[in-house]
Amino acid sequence: MKNIFRVARWEFVSRIKSRSFLFNTFISPFLFTAVITLPLFIFNLQPQITTKLIGLIDLSGQNIKEELQRELNRNYRLDNRSSEYLVMNVAVNNSSSYNRMASKFEEIKSRLDSVSLVYDQIKEQRMEYYKNTRIPNRDYVLRTSYEKLQNTREEKELIEIELSRFKTALDSLYKREAQRMADSLLYTDVLNAYLIFLPDFAKTGIVEYHTKTPGDLREVERFEKILQTIIIKKRILNDQIPRSKLQRWFRPIYLKKYQLLQEGQQEWNFYVQFYGPLIGVFLLFMAIFTAGGYVFSSVLLEKSNRVIEVLLSYVTSSQLMGGKILGLGFLGLVQIFSWFAITGILLSTGIIPADKISYLTMQNALYFLIYFSLGFLFYGAIFVTIGSVSASEYDAQQINQLLRTIAIFPVLLSLLVLANPNAPLIRLLSFIPFLTPSFMIMRIPLSIEPITFDIYGTILLMIVSIGFMIIISGRIFRMSTLMVGKKLTPQEIWTWIKIK
Amino acid sequence: MSENILEVRNVSKSFKEQVVLKNLSFTVKSGETFGLLGPNGAGKTTTMRMIMNILQPDEGEILFQGQPRQRLKGVHFGYLPEERGLYPRARVLDVLVYFGTLNDLAPRKAEVEAIRYLDRLGIIEYTDTRINELSKGIQQKIQFIAAFLHDPDVLILDEPFTGLDPINQSVLQEILEEFKKKNKVLILSTHMMDQAEKMCDHICLINQAQVVIDGSVSNIRKRFREDAYYLEADAPIPFISSLKGIQILEEGKNNYKFVLEEGSVSLAEILKQVEQKTKIRKFEVFEPSLHDIFIRLIQEQTEVKS
Repeated sequence: MKNIFRVARWEFVSRIKSRSFLFNTFISPFLFTAVITLPLFIFNLQPQITTKLIGLIDLSGQNIKEELQRELNRNYRLDNRSSEYLVMNVAVNNSSSYNRMASKFEEIKSRLDSVSLVYDQIKEQRMEYYKNTRIPNRDYVLRTSYEKLQNTREEKELIEIELSRFKTALDSLYKREAQRMADSLLYTDVLNAYLIFLPDFAKTGIVEYHTKTPGDLREVERFEKILQTIIIKKRILNDQIPRSKLQRWFRPIYLKKYQLLQEGQQEWNFYVQFYGPLIGVFLLFMAIFTAGGYVFSSVLLEKSNRVIEVLLSYVTSSQLMGGKILGLGFLGLVQIFSWFAITGILLSTGIIPADKISYLTMQNALYFLIYFSLGFLFYGAIFVTIGSVSASEYDAQQINQLLRTIAIFPVLLSLLVLANPNAPLIRLLSFIPFLTPSFMIMRIPLSIEPITFDIYGTILLMIVSIGFMIIISGRIFRMSTLMVGKKLTPQEIWTWIKIK
Repeated sequence: MSENILEVRNVSKSFKEQVVLKNLSFTVKSGETFGLLGPNGAGKTTTMRMIMNILQPDEGEILFQGQPRQRLKGVHFGYLPEERGLYPRARVLDVLVYFGTLNDLAPRKAEVEAIRYLDRLGIIEYTDTRINELSKGIQQKIQFIAAFLHDPDVLILDEPFTGLDPINQSVLQEILEEFKKKNKVLILSTHMMDQAEKMCDHICLINQAQVVIDGSVSNIRKRFREDAYYLEADAPIPFISSLKGIQILEEGKNNYKFVLEEGSVSLAEILKQVEQKTKIRKFEVFEPSLHDIFIRLIQEQTEVKS
């Protein structure tokens, strides 16, 4: 028994001063937290230096500019209260082809105006002819004036068709030329983005948003929200609802979220609820795989440099394995208590707002310790086996990598866990020993109802699995450690498992 | 002082189909240096691993003072395996103290003993150096210290002299002599027959999983004596080969190994004739070296088997 503690002490002392342990304990968690939260900070704290210029290509003819500007001003302003967005129509005055077509359009329009004028005059004249029955040759005059009216109407209709055709062509040219102009303004960073409103945008609900950075989700979300308001307004106005009511209806809405907990209500914050457990899983993963990785490299090192033979001549294989797991498990606990201490300091200095994070409790800290211990013992036993059966470090590292991928898999499902920590699939996956620690450490803080059955169930299952793994790994370790450079077959490993 | 005895009794060991040891028996007494010899693959390392309790025999037993090896309490073993290694990033003193404490030495005592041996082997200046910063020779000395630092009752050294310079070989021999005098069991395994001949009092030669010969070195040499004589003179004596009743076995520049045919010329007569021509520098009854015996026995056994 004494030798277990001697081996444990050696493993502990020789690792605790290592650079990798200090890095994994004090630098990695901060790096990870920084990596996942920095983009968020940058996203939210983008410097509001200048007003953003938004181009507008309005093909609807509904004078969107005013309305868009008004809505944007109402919702988004810079810190100095000036407009965050400035909307400008994209001008195409420099385009000769457009100018040519526009002048022709104007010409057709004036022709239409003059024909319309003539048409109105004839109609007026005819009215007088009708009223005045004493006009000589009244019938003749009425007939000829009717013919004239007919001809003028026909001419007017033709010009209207021509004008409409021309308008479509002009709009199409305008769109093309305006887009060309807007693209160049976007390219030279004069514009931040530009919007195209097609004639039937209110009906289809489609508005084009052109930018260099469509991945800028914050901007996209803002414009979607504003355009939603504008389009719905248009649709409501089309249904003859008075404009005065709209102002009231469209006052911006903010959803304040609360979560019902056993100890009462608490304001719900996505970042706290999502990133907190995610950091928790990462820390747990780090602790298990730092200590487990040391078990693994320790066996590999002793096997590859043959110290194992001397060690096994002084201690039994179970003492050696037990000592390693004990010493390095204790190292993992030191790592966790260091994190608890750091968290305590951050809480007491107010850097972490304790009142907003309900899951930072002693009970959850205890669960963290329990799931670390179980995860470490489970993976530690597997690492001992891998270390002892691997013919080379390369082989061993490959399996190690695979295990890491399996253990971190729950993080990929973190959004599902956030949505419903007690969903049947998540519960089922929590009972797979390889995934238990990661899933449970996310579920415990996120679940609003107690999951006592799952906690006890997974703990029990983990204990059984650990017992099973330790028996198997002990047998394999005892037999395989003296084999150096030989690749073992599954049959050989199976034979050793069977030997008592 | 009572004699300590290590017995290997009818031990057999197989790995799957391969028989590594078959009915192996020998006895090692304290105060003698026991040499476990044999060609590669003879089963020496497996035997030593079983004595060290790393492997268990399939059949037979290993006893120390009549007690089965597995149940021994308070008896310390020291082991230097052929394949050696240390923790590369650890410091010399830390490693030695670790191995000492694994053998029930108090940390302070282990430290004192480690420093004493480091000083004796002339490497005291490396006490706080990391192992990977040391030369191979110095690393080997540290492994020696690790094997006998705790003053074991049984010390097993597998190929201890490989890679050591002559000065350190003699320092090691000196330490082993002292160890032997302390009524301890000492087992050496080596390929270097001249070393075995110099160091061992008792040898056991194993080949193809079995004991080929077991006994004291002097008895074995006597047993393999060929009644041959060795004569070395100041100048060449070619006439010797023309003498009647003499058969030259080996001929050097000034030396000859020969046997006499029964009932022919007498030894005194030959020596007289030689002395008339030149001065005799050395004359002895020729005893074969362990090397010769080793090769002869292995060859004989291989021929018998084939």
